[in-house]
Amino acid sequence: MDALDKLGISWQLLLSQIVNFGLLMIILQQLLYKPVLNMLEQRRQRIAEGLEQADKASHAAAEAEAEKQAILEEARREAQEVRAQATRDAERIAQDVRSRADQEAQDIRMKAQADAEAQTAAVMADARKQIADLAIAATEQILGRELANKDEQERFVADYLAQQNGSGS
Amino acid sequence: MFKNLLQAFVLNARIRNATIGVIVLLVLSVVPFFNAPPPHVELAAEALLEQGPKWFTNGLLTTILVDLIIILMAVFAVSRMKEIPGAWQNIVEMLVEGMWNLTQSIAGHGSANSRKFFPWVITIFIFVLVSNYIGLLPGFGSIGIYHSGAESHAQAALDNQIAMAGAETVAVAAAAEEGKPVLVPLFRSPSADLNMTLALALISVFMTQFFGVQALGIRYFTKFFKNPFKDGMGAVVGFFELIAEISKIISFSFRLFGNIFAGEVVLLVMAFLVTFLLPSIFYGLELFIGFIQALVFMLLTLAFFTMATVSHDDHH
Repeated sequence: MDALDKLGISWQLLLSQIVNFGLLMIILQQLLYKPVLNMLEQRRQRIAEGLEQADKASHAAAEAEAEKQAILEEARREAQEVRAQATRDAERIAQDVRSRADQEAQDIRMKAQADAEAQTAAVMADARKQIADLAIAATEQILGRELANKDEQERFVADYLAQQNGSGS
Repeated sequence: MFKNLLQAFVLNARIRNATIGVIVLLVLSVVPFFNAPPPHVELAAEALLEQGPKWFTNGLLTTILVDLIIILMAVFAVSRMKEIPGAWQNIVEMLVEGMWNLTQSIAGHGSANSRKFFPWVITIFIFVLVSNYIGLLPGFGSIGIYHSGAESHAQAALDNQIAMAGAETVAVAAAAEEGKPVLVPLFRSPSADLNMTLALALISVFMTQFFGVQALGIRYFTKFFKNPFKDGMGAVVGFFELIAEISKIISFSFRLFGNIFAGEVVLLVMAFLVTFLLPSIFYGLELFIGFIQALVFMLLTLAFFTMATVSHDDHH
């Protein structure tokens, strides 16, 4: 015991140091180690999460880019189609319009021809009638009297003219 | 060659000023006014109050101070803990994480042992480190209370008996023997108080046994005690193991105590020999030793803990 005393060792002080260490350890365990390790773990998870999200985001961005490309491609294709369709339609319409115009022109021409023919026919008929009348009148003058059967005469002249017309033309 | 040096000396203001500073400090060291008093070397922690209780030593006071410092530093780091750490939180986190990784690298990654050992070894490291460093602060050993000669007579006599080996210490003790009032330092590094180092050594060795029994049950003790009739050689080895286990207490406590106490004595003696400059060099050395000793105490404890939990029968 004497030697220990010289070294300054006493059981009270020794015990106080042991208790001190124990208390310090418990306090630090609650105050320092647990919160710090928890924080480190929490931060580790945050970083892992962040990295994962960044990964996901870049993945999503790539996907969006691909989708955009696809949509653009689709749109371009559709536009192409629409244009082609429009061109075809326009051509068809132009064709229509042209054919209709042709048709109309044809109709107008036909009608004009028909009119002209009708007019000619009318003029001819009129002329024939006048000729017949003139012929009857001339005949009456030559004969010096009025023909008794006027209607019969007229029919006769008309038949003759028609016959002439038929063989003459 | 010499001419070149001279030229450099004259031209380079920094080298010139530094050299002049060194010379001035060395000259001042010889001036009697600046001479440090003969170092007061006490092996044991001293009672602070002459008439007060004997247990109230400067070592105990400083231990409490160390506790407060550690707890305050922890509180500062943790009280406003943030996901994005501030400077101080960062340092403390680095320390805790470093120790945690070290513990894991020895006791096994993510093992239950690591979690069990961690508070013990990190507390040892922090406590010993702060204890070692606090003794290097100015004022330690120089600020104190004067005790009248009567008591110091006895103390000096004790010193004399113990410190026969060191001639300087004897001289110091002799100087203190003249019955003049003796300065009792107010603070003393806990690491330079055998009560603290012995307490830590006892805790370390006891917990080694505790963890060993916890991991292996009663089988743990077969390391020390074997049936001499069945395994004669094993019994002898076991006996040596037992002695080694007990001597750990002594090696642990005196390694730390010896290093820190001797370091402080070296600083005092250097200051006594050359007041300026020379102690500065040894301060650097003491900083290094203080860190190494804390790390050694912690690592050895951790290694012993880990070894105790491994069954030795597995090899056979």
